[in-house]
Amino acid sequence: MTAEQEKSEIHFADVLPCWSCKGPVGGTALFCETCGAVQPPRPVDAFARFGLKPSFDVEIGSLEPLYFNLQRRLHPDRFVSKGPKERALSQSQAASLNKDFETLKDPVRRATALLENGGHLVHPEGCNTVSDPVLLMEVMEMREALGEAETSEDIAGIESQTRRDMDDCLKELSSAFAANDLDVADRLNTRLKYLVKLEDEVRARKFAPKAMA
Amino acid sequence: MAYSKELLEHYEKPRNVGSMDKNSTDVGTGLVGAPACGDVMKLQIKVSPEGIIEDAKFKTFGCGSAIASSSLVTEWVKGKSLDEAATIKNTEIAEHLALPPVKIHCSVLAEDAIKAAIEDYKTKAPGSAVTEKEDGLDQSATG
Repeated sequence: MTAEQEKSEIHFADVLPCWSCKGPVGGTALFCETCGAVQPPRPVDAFARFGLKPSFDVEIGSLEPLYFNLQRRLHPDRFVSKGPKERALSQSQAASLNKDFETLKDPVRRATALLENGGHLVHPEGCNTVSDPVLLMEVMEMREALGEAETSEDIAGIESQTRRDMDDCLKELSSAFAANDLDVADRLNTRLKYLVKLEDEVRARKFAPKAMA
Repeated sequence: MAYSKELLEHYEKPRNVGSMDKNSTDVGTGLVGAPACGDVMKLQIKVSPEGIIEDAKFKTFGCGSAIASSSLVTEWVKGKSLDEAATIKNTEIAEHLALPPVKIHCSVLAEDAIKAAIEDYKTKAPGSAVTEKEDGLDQSATG
């Protein structure tokens, strides 16, 4: 594949000279084709890192083989005989790949990345409060129901309801991003965060049943 | 990290946990949330015809700092006028509970909740705190 083809195929990042041999390195190639030296990670988003167009619909299962293959090629064992620069670069490549893979894997982080790509500011962790009364009332009711749940059937009922709500929310998020409606996507992403939290709480209740009063 | 005595006190023995009838015209309800941590906080105030907060209740699903912040606010607002209660700042809450920097947003949530409750009360009973207060004064003057 020529550098031109590679560029158009992964639609980002220009060809840059290899830091070691000055040969051309295209896209997000981990290694220089000329001298084989590991390259520094390019400042691209999580989608581009894996050669994807930004989209909410990521089939993580089909990305896993690529991800594990790349991580294998960056394994520290392969760099024991290399110089300190290559060792450091291989580590920062591995870290970028890991971070970006986790971003693609987790729906909330994926949605947040897409919103930020679209210039839609998502407040940093912990700094924003919402006052969407319909959503908050629903969350309050679900959390109260969980708090009042007595039997494992009650908890299982809440669990399957949460699962259904989550599936619906993911489908709606996919449609919202497909339609490039970022305001709606932002609201759905907030709802998804609450559903994830609710799922955690349900799991906690399953394994730590309410103490007998 | 060590939490302050005040924080643990409110977390272990939260004051004023509960609910009021949100449809009642003398009750204001503030419902706020911090999605990043999945917190949701409900704070309710019962307001006298004179515009004084007679009672306050809260229900918070969240971390210990969020529970302590809302518990503290319900204590602080009781007996205050709506205008006085509206001046409560998150920094005062954070300072009183000695919240660590990563938990400051919990105090922001509590400030937002009391403001939302006051706002809710005012929209439900527009002008009632002022007009009824005057009525009350008239009655006591004539009676």
